[in-house]
Amino acid sequence: MSDAPEHLVKSYDTELKRLRAMMADMGGMVENQVSLATQAIIHRDNDAAMKVVEEDPRVDALEREVEQNVVRMLALRQPMAADLRFIVASLKMTGDLERIGDYATNVAKRSIVLSQFPMPIPFAGLAHMCQLVQAQLKNIIDAVGTDDTDKAIEVWRSDATVDAVYNGIFRELITYMMEDPRNITPCTHLLFIAKNLERIGDHTTNIAETVYYAVRGEVLPDVRPKGDTSAYAVVRPKE
Amino acid sequence: MSATTYSSIPGAAKNETVAQRLSNRRRRSDTIVKYLCILATLIGLVMLASILFTLLVKGVGGLSLSVFTTMTKPPGSGGGLLNAILGTLIQTVIGTAVGTPIGLMVGTYLAEYGQGSKIADIVRFVSDILLSAPSILIGLFVYQFLVEPVGGFSGIAGSLALAIIVIPIVVRTTEDMLHLIPATLREAAIGLGAPKWKMITLICYRSAKEGIVTGVLLAIARIAGETAPLLFTSLGNSSALGGMGSPMASLPVAIYQYAGSAFEDWVQLAWVGALLITVGVLTINILARFALRGKR
Amino acid sequence: MSTTMNDQQGSHGGVQVRSASAIGKSSIEISELDFYYGTHKALKQINLNLPDKQVTGMIGPSGCGKSTLLRVLNRMYDLYPGQKAVGKVMMDGQNIIDPGVDLNALRARIGMVFQKPTPFPMTLYDNIAFGVRLHEKLSKAEMDERVEWSLTRAALWGEVKDRLNTSAMGLSGGQQQRLCIARTIAVRPEVILLDEPTSALDPISTLKVEELIDELKHDFTIAIVTHNMQQAARCADQVAFFYIGEMVEVGPAEQIFTAPKEKRTQEYVTGRFG
Repeated sequence: MSDAPEHLVKSYDTELKRLRAMMADMGGMVENQVSLATQAIIHRDNDAAMKVVEEDPRVDALEREVEQNVVRMLALRQPMAADLRFIVASLKMTGDLERIGDYATNVAKRSIVLSQFPMPIPFAGLAHMCQLVQAQLKNIIDAVGTDDTDKAIEVWRSDATVDAVYNGIFRELITYMMEDPRNITPCTHLLFIAKNLERIGDHTTNIAETVYYAVRGEVLPDVRPKGDTSAYAVVRPKE
Repeated sequence: MSATTYSSIPGAAKNETVAQRLSNRRRRSDTIVKYLCILATLIGLVMLASILFTLLVKGVGGLSLSVFTTMTKPPGSGGGLLNAILGTLIQTVIGTAVGTPIGLMVGTYLAEYGQGSKIADIVRFVSDILLSAPSILIGLFVYQFLVEPVGGFSGIAGSLALAIIVIPIVVRTTEDMLHLIPATLREAAIGLGAPKWKMITLICYRSAKEGIVTGVLLAIARIAGETAPLLFTSLGNSSALGGMGSPMASLPVAIYQYAGSAFEDWVQLAWVGALLITVGVLTINILARFALRGKR
Repeated sequence: MSTTMNDQQGSHGGVQVRSASAIGKSSIEISELDFYYGTHKALKQINLNLPDKQVTGMIGPSGCGKSTLLRVLNRMYDLYPGQKAVGKVMMDGQNIIDPGVDLNALRARIGMVFQKPTPFPMTLYDNIAFGVRLHEKLSKAEMDERVEWSLTRAALWGEVKDRLNTSAMGLSGGQQQRLCIARTIAVRPEVILLDEPTSALDPISTLKVEELIDELKHDFTIAIVTHNMQQAARCADQVAFFYIGEMVEVGPAEQIFTAPKEKRTQEYVTGRFG
């Protein structure tokens, strides 16, 4: 896509490049949100959390701008083939990114509440999950910028790990709650935070599928390995 | 001023005074050429008008019913032009009837079948030469081949000479008109599965109808006024119509013979004949123009 | 039962729906086709099938050979000396570029509509009847019915039914083009070739013709050459991309316009052609 010769209509080329730039901007903003949200939880940093919340309207605005651009280009340029796939992919990816931004914001808000409680549990599991999700997000945004489908597939596969970690945290938090009812409030928030991080991982895999289609023109072959089994999890109090 | 806004256009900046000077010069030459053209047109028109006027003044006086109803009689006995009128009509009709189909077929061959063939090139060349050949040569030719061997002037020979004049005119207009038909119209007919001859007769002739008819009308106008070829072929007949096998009267020849004669009434008849022929040819020309305009 | 069916069909101005056995056989199979304008090779080793009752769109830059290919299919090139086709164009087991083929019969089976409307200088009625009379002997009533049938199929009947005896030259451009389509289908061909049929029409007339193509593909195999990629995308089931005498890629329209396999196709359909 990026090594294709210039479009005969220069203004169309300019618009395509601008759409690309907007996607990169939005990716950067969301990546930043997630990393600030991580900092907010792990380091109990309320300033970082506030920054995440303040950033959210700008992400939303950018999403709307991308949408408008996509609709206009579809109407006026009648894109074909790779251009068409990229433009439609942008529309889908901007939605995913916006959702990721929302989850990061939600995580940040909960971290502010959490900071008012003494931390009942070790952070190791959650910190690991944050790391995994951040790496996944960074990789997928790179893949979008460079049309790197190998990287996209890597991200798409790696989400299983995030899901596994999430399942562990889920069980761990329930155990803590059963041990001491005073843990219920912070643990519930932590549970939601973990769930949000897991959802961010899911959206990165959506983006991976979209990039793959945009670049190759084919749909990713098989069903993604889904690792989130918490929906069926049962944890019973120890005897 | 404008140099800054159009800085990317090569050349010196726009100079208003130079532009004005150029514009004035152009306007002056435009005016001069316009008036020269008007003058030339006027000269032509005045000539034509004076010819028509003279014809009318000198000819209308001699017009009477007897001109159309009686044969020419010896000078002083008050004859008409019936023989000459009929003779011209007969020879023109036969000449056209013989020449048109031949011309049409040759033109069709050139336009539809002979593309790129040597024979077609030769035929076209010869036909074009014939078109511009002096008509007296055609008269001489027919004299040589028909009149002399048979031993006498005849209406047949006259008609044939006129037919030979008709052929190249019809060839040229037919070929030109067929060439004007867009190739896609031909392909459309062929594409429906029409054989070539049906395409030509049902589609091409129909499309080129106005043009071809115009060509034929112009050919008629041309031969109706021809004198030279008739002098050597049908000779003219100043007492009776004559026949296909004997010298036949015709208007142009009658004019030629009477105009120079010493008799007052014959000279008058010549003027009347000239008027008739002019009006006839003019009518055909106008008809042709209308036929052509109907298309566009 | 079957006789009543036949009666119904027979009474329809001689218009019979082709029997079931004919379905599936009239597609054209082109293989290893070369075409020469004099010494210039305009088509190189073309392999392409026209599936029965489907629309095949042919796209490509000017001079790529797509119109040339159409003109091979109905042997229009025979009109011009020095043009020559070599290879196989099979239709019902017969190679239609063989010298022995009955061209008039072939052209009755493979109709063609041109870029510019080409109404004949005669009445609307005679325009339609012209082609029919070349191949069939119909009574006046049958011919009337055939004219109505073909004009109806060409979505023109309602607009012209009161002026069948006026000159076809008085129609608008879009109507003239639909008349040409009616004239072509009146002969009841199996294949219709459309050579940029809407390039001289306004957008509304263009859409009417496109709608018509969609209608006609139930009964006819259609090949359409177009410079308008959106048109190929809208009309065609299968699209073939040509470039300098070669067929670069052929595939379902959806695939060609969303995910072409060849780089040159990709560059052409996205407008990056140098």
